[in-house]
Amino acid sequence: MISVRDAVLGYGTRSFITAVNGVSLDIGSNEIVGVAGESGSGKSTLMRAIYGDFSTGLRLKGGSIRGTFEGYGTLDCSDMRRAWWDAVSYVPQGSMSVLNPLMKVEKQLLDGLPKRQRLAGRAAQRQDLEKFLAGLGLDASVLDAYPHQLSGGMRQRVLVAIAAYVSPKLILADEPTTALDVVVQKRILLMLVEIQRRLQNTLVLVSHDLGVHYQITDRLVIMYRGEVVETGATDEIFSNPQHDYTQRLIGALPDLAARRGAVS
Amino acid sequence: MKLLNFILGRLFVYVMVLVVGMTILFFVPRFAPTDPVDAMLAKVASQSGYMEAAQVDALRASLADTFGLQGSMIDQYGAFLKRIFLTADFGPSLSMYPTPVTELIARALPWTFGLLFTATIIAWVLGNFVGLLAGWRPESNPARVMEGIAICLYPVPYYIVALILSVLFSYVWSIFPLTTTIRGAPWSWDLIRSILWNSFLPAASIVITVFGWWIISVKAQTTALKEEEFIRYARLKGLSDTRLLTRYVLPNAILPQITFLALQIGLMFNGSLITEIIFDYPGLGLLIYSAVLQGDYNLLMGTISLSIVAVATATMIIDFLYPLVDPRIRHG
Repeated sequence: MISVRDAVLGYGTRSFITAVNGVSLDIGSNEIVGVAGESGSGKSTLMRAIYGDFSTGLRLKGGSIRGTFEGYGTLDCSDMRRAWWDAVSYVPQGSMSVLNPLMKVEKQLLDGLPKRQRLAGRAAQRQDLEKFLAGLGLDASVLDAYPHQLSGGMRQRVLVAIAAYVSPKLILADEPTTALDVVVQKRILLMLVEIQRRLQNTLVLVSHDLGVHYQITDRLVIMYRGEVVETGATDEIFSNPQHDYTQRLIGALPDLAARRGAVS
Repeated sequence: MKLLNFILGRLFVYVMVLVVGMTILFFVPRFAPTDPVDAMLAKVASQSGYMEAAQVDALRASLADTFGLQGSMIDQYGAFLKRIFLTADFGPSLSMYPTPVTELIARALPWTFGLLFTATIIAWVLGNFVGLLAGWRPESNPARVMEGIAICLYPVPYYIVALILSVLFSYVWSIFPLTTTIRGAPWSWDLIRSILWNSFLPAASIVITVFGWWIISVKAQTTALKEEEFIRYARLKGLSDTRLLTRYVLPNAILPQITFLALQIGLMFNGSLITEIIFDYPGLGLLIYSAVLQGDYNLLMGTISLSIVAVATATMIIDFLYPLVDPRIRHG
């Protein structure tokens, strides 16, 4: 579905600052892929390039990034915007200001929706939305809310719902659970898994939090200083990490069992 | 229930503002060194020559009565408030005796309101439109040109623009009339044309000086909004530029401008003074001007009260309207 070959990505035209240095990666259909790494490791830059968002001065200097979607054929990353909010959608890191403060949630769910998801008549669309939200454990009342009336966790769930209502082939989620408490985080992760199961599509989850990856991803990509240092099934990486950096990352996870032992 | 409380509370504040304003208006002239009765007597004496002492006393008493200057200060104050709030009566005009002040104001008000309201709205719409586009596409040439013009015009004092327009378009090229003369039967096409013709230059001078400010402020708003996360998110949803501009940028940029517009409308009576003097326009400004020149205290009181009421009403209307346009602000 997505194929990244020796991609060199960076910012600036006169003095090029490399953020991703020669990454190759394949993302298939119907899987949950996690991308982990510390801040500055290039994981967000790689995500941005796969999504085809070059608005921030991002440049693909070498290699190629391509996506293949039904109805679109093979798209170069510079053309990816044609598939935005149809074959591919994304979940941003939620903050107070990701949603338009003057628009009700219902409008923002419908804004940008592809034709195939549109129903004739407002009432029919509304009913469909309510059913969809109920399936994700969200109350229909959020539709009539303005963003400022929702809590941080609720806003993030709305963002996930907006990306999922498109029924895309690929959802890119960039740090969707960062800055949320663990209970809310868990709820959002379960929601993401539920959506992936239902749509049988691909979810790419970017997070610096290995705990998050451990809970839901099938496959893990570990990035370090702009390079992919390790990739494989999540279970395997956790039980047998090969690279130094991966070992350090996993070693840094809090170990509840050991702590309990130390106290008693 | 909370909403009702808010409305009642706001109305109470409104009345209090008016009372305080009228109180200041009552006391300031009374602490002035000049006495309106003496001034009037001197005027009468200079015109009529010799007067007997008894006549002078009778005139003094009747003038004090007309001005509401009889009794103690507290009595006068009470009578003044009662007269203004219950009957909106400012007494007769002294320079155009015995026409009531309220009638003079009622005659002048439509002119000023029509001129300034129209000009303010035109400047607002034009300025917001240009400013929005200039902020959205700062590299486009029309936006640059319009912004350049705005920056050049914005600091020019308002009376200079009015004078230049008047000199150029009425005196050098006599396209528009130098002083305002309205002709035509009531409600005829001629009358409307005559009003539009005579109002063009005064309105243009207001639009030209005000709209530069709107352009600059909306442009700043738009430039800041473009960096907002929700605009970026909407763009990454693949929304078209038109939709981004009309549904995301415009409502958010225009919101603070609504406050400024309402304040501007409240303050427009102040701005009318110089325009109307320069173009000899028969509105409130000209009325205030002649009241000052002729020492017409009643007329002055009436016109100043009107501007207090206008500003207080305008700010109250904003307070009532704002929750309707901004969902983040809800009273109750």
